Amino acid sequence: MKITIFGSGYVGLVTGACLAQVGNHVVCVDIDEDKVARLRQGEVPIHEPGLDAIIAETAANGRLVFTTDAAAGVAHGQLQMIAVGTPPDEDGSADLSHVLAVARTIGQHITDYRVIITKSTVPVGTADRVRDAVAESLAERGVTIDYDIASNPEFLKEGAAVGDFTKPDRIIVGCDSDRAETLLRELYMPFNRNRDRVLVMDIRSAELSKYAANAMLATKISFMNEIATLAERVGADIEQVRIGIGADPRIGFHFIYPGIGYGGSCFPKDVRALASTARAVGLQPALLDAVEQRNFAQKHVLFDKLNQHFEGQMAGRTIALWGLAFKPDTDDMREAPSRVLMEALWTAGARVQAHDPVANAECRRIYGERADLQLSDDPYTALDGADALVVCTEWREFRSPDFADISRRLRAPVIFDGRNIYDPQRLTEEGIRYYCIGRQQ
Amino acid sequence: MKNITVVGVGYVGLVSGACFADLGNHVVCLDIDKKRVENLKQGILPIYEPGLEELVERNVKAGRLEFTTSYADALKTAEFVFIAVGTPSDVDGQADLRYVRMAAESIADAMDHSMIIVNKSTVPVGTGDWVADIIRNRRPDAPDFSVVSCPEFLREGAAISDFMNPDRNVLGSTDPDAAEKVAQLHLPLRSTIMITDLRTAEMIKYASNAFLATKISFINEISNICEALGADVSEVAYGMGLDRRIGPHFLNAGLGWGGSCFPKDVKALAFMAETEGRHPHLLHAVMDINADQRKAPIRKVKELLGGTLQGKKIGLLGLAFKPNTDDMRDAPSIDIARSLLREGASVRAYDPVAMDVARDSLPEVTMMKNAYDVAQNADALILVTEWNEFKNLDLQRVRDLMAEAVLVDGRNIYDPAQVRAIGFKYLAMGRGYNGEGVES
Repeated sequence: MKITIFGSGYVGLVTGACLAQVGNHVVCVDIDEDKVARLRQGEVPIHEPGLDAIIAETAANGRLVFTTDAAAGVAHGQLQMIAVGTPPDEDGSADLSHVLAVARTIGQHITDYRVIITKSTVPVGTADRVRDAVAESLAERGVTIDYDIASNPEFLKEGAAVGDFTKPDRIIVGCDSDRAETLLRELYMPFNRNRDRVLVMDIRSAELSKYAANAMLATKISFMNEIATLAERVGADIEQVRIGIGADPRIGFHFIYPGIGYGGSCFPKDVRALASTARAVGLQPALLDAVEQRNFAQKHVLFDKLNQHFEGQMAGRTIALWGLAFKPDTDDMREAPSRVLMEALWTAGARVQAHDPVANAECRRIYGERADLQLSDDPYTALDGADALVVCTEWREFRSPDFADISRRLRAPVIFDGRNIYDPQRLTEEGIRYYCIGRQQ
Repeated sequence: MKNITVVGVGYVGLVSGACFADLGNHVVCLDIDKKRVENLKQGILPIYEPGLEELVERNVKAGRLEFTTSYADALKTAEFVFIAVGTPSDVDGQADLRYVRMAAESIADAMDHSMIIVNKSTVPVGTGDWVADIIRNRRPDAPDFSVVSCPEFLREGAAISDFMNPDRNVLGSTDPDAAEKVAQLHLPLRSTIMITDLRTAEMIKYASNAFLATKISFINEISNICEALGADVSEVAYGMGLDRRIGPHFLNAGLGWGGSCFPKDVKALAFMAETEGRHPHLLHAVMDINADQRKAPIRKVKELLGGTLQGKKIGLLGLAFKPNTDDMRDAPSIDIARSLLREGASVRAYDPVAMDVARDSLPEVTMMKNAYDVAQNADALILVTEWNEFKNLDLQRVRDLMAEAVLVDGRNIYDPAQVRAIGFKYLAMGRGYNGEGVES
């Protein structure tokens, strides 16, 4: 099939590459000339395991093409996917200007039947606005051309996006036309061999499914963090509580890890956008607001523990940080808990020596060169002369470290573990003072 | 074969006692309520639970299950004493431990050999230690004993199967040997047995119930957003539930949770957090949403009846807080019926098993023999509890019996298109604009 994808960000690239890999002809359109030029040279602007290889392979055999030419893009694919960014406005609502601009562009150029699919995470009702935007462009041109609208939200996890696309739990298609449904079912056939995973529903329910899924996952995390703060106070062990409640299949073991809060480009944005949507229609989203508040509070937990340990004497301290990305296997630092911690440390007059396996460059891009931030390529050199080690991201390489070496390098052996990846008893045996989340210290 | 005493013949005590007896143990169930014990000796059960009556009868006949009001008799040969008394909540949400205290004191007074005291009641974190203190203080000379927490995870309506096929058994104690002995009692159930410390075991129970309540309040919040935006919450829940990290369970939008566990446990957990100086944002939101959810059917009925309920005849289908139980504690039906009465409507109801229990809290509601009698001349029906027998009602007949064909489906059990085709004015929960359904 011929497919055009607008937007060569995270979603657009993964979608384009995976669709090209199974034999489709995909054109990726982006207005950023520099980005397109780099993609043509095989330079992939995001870190995603396995993606580089698929892009290299499909670009080499001509099935994946990058361009800035929107008209050529509209001419190419019967399926037109909109995968541009929807950054949040100040009130948390999603900014749809890019999505609607693409819709108008499509309306300006189409000459025959197209299915216009919103893949970006967009508020409920956006597909209808896309339909109107296309209709306006057609009216300006004074032509009548048949087209359909569909919503096909992505469910990709950063760090596991290729696997998520090719082996999905479910594929949600919201549409109101048989013709569009047939085309979308055909599109997803290659990823649907094990059993039918395509769920067809009305457009608005499809749009809301995406927000509801992310909000539920964020709720699970905030729930566990709320229980963790309580467990700490009443002398229970949140890791045991996690195992006890997860064994109930109505709860399950997924996504109930206590920690220092969720971040990234999806959960914070989507929870806020959904809450903002609710408010816009006169509803008070009590639970979503509470999820957000708990997450905000949770990101400050590590600093509070540090501050308490050092009895408020943070000025002049050096703190080693392991992990900067909001989660492992990504370089994404948007809304990462590490940022809240670093900024609090700097405000308190402390220095940070940090190491992340892939996010060091991203950190440098965000904060630039500064005297109180030293980024280290090696996790152990980040420890030299530091007053404490703080684990912010549970990268695999941090899970079984050389504790003796850690103790040697730190000025005093103390670890603050924001992800509960170590065994408290083991650390006590190693002579390390250990702080973690929701467990007895 | 072990000798087990169970204190409290309420829901948890009776199910646990009967099930332990059925596994071949010798069980004495003790309660201070003479009437209850007399009734039980005659085979009359104080609660309704599918399969329980037969189980009790069988084990009494086999001599493995006895009932008594005497601690001295009950503890004579006991190796294990399960405390399964009620822990109602105070006005402010704090769990009321007076029955636990009474049980602990009575055990202390009567114990003449060492035994393991197992707490099955849902009690605040720290209660296990408190029980041990009570006994030690009252009987400094008491024989050796240990306290083990063994929270119950029984669902009303499915309690026997939950006891016999548990997802997990959680045991917590400061005495690992005692926990190990209680684990042995549970070995025939072949489930995962998790042994942890006392306080953590107590917390697991609260956290489990609070999480399930959170899921329900979550989907109800989404359901309200669906109504405002024209999406269908049943589709949304299905789509979400296929994500393995979310799962399909406990995502049915409706009138919210009730019963004897969730309301009490969420409140108690929030109270514990506040006592410890923590603000439980999420738990408060979960409770607020649940309270609001009970107002939705009133709003909907009112709208369909042209803005007033004065003088209207409203029928309720279902009263129990969920199907397969007669439990009316904190049931949505109570709030709904009282609101309807306050607004000047007359209310009648039918529930397959809960009407006897419901009469006490709802004296002004007329109880009917079946769903069709409820429909007779009614101006509106509200489906409150999703009993199976309501799922395939002859809706044509129901409509013909009613004065006005108005149906509010509090549990989304009907197909909107089908119900409308029959001629009902129909609103559901979270299905399209204002619950009116979505064209597909």
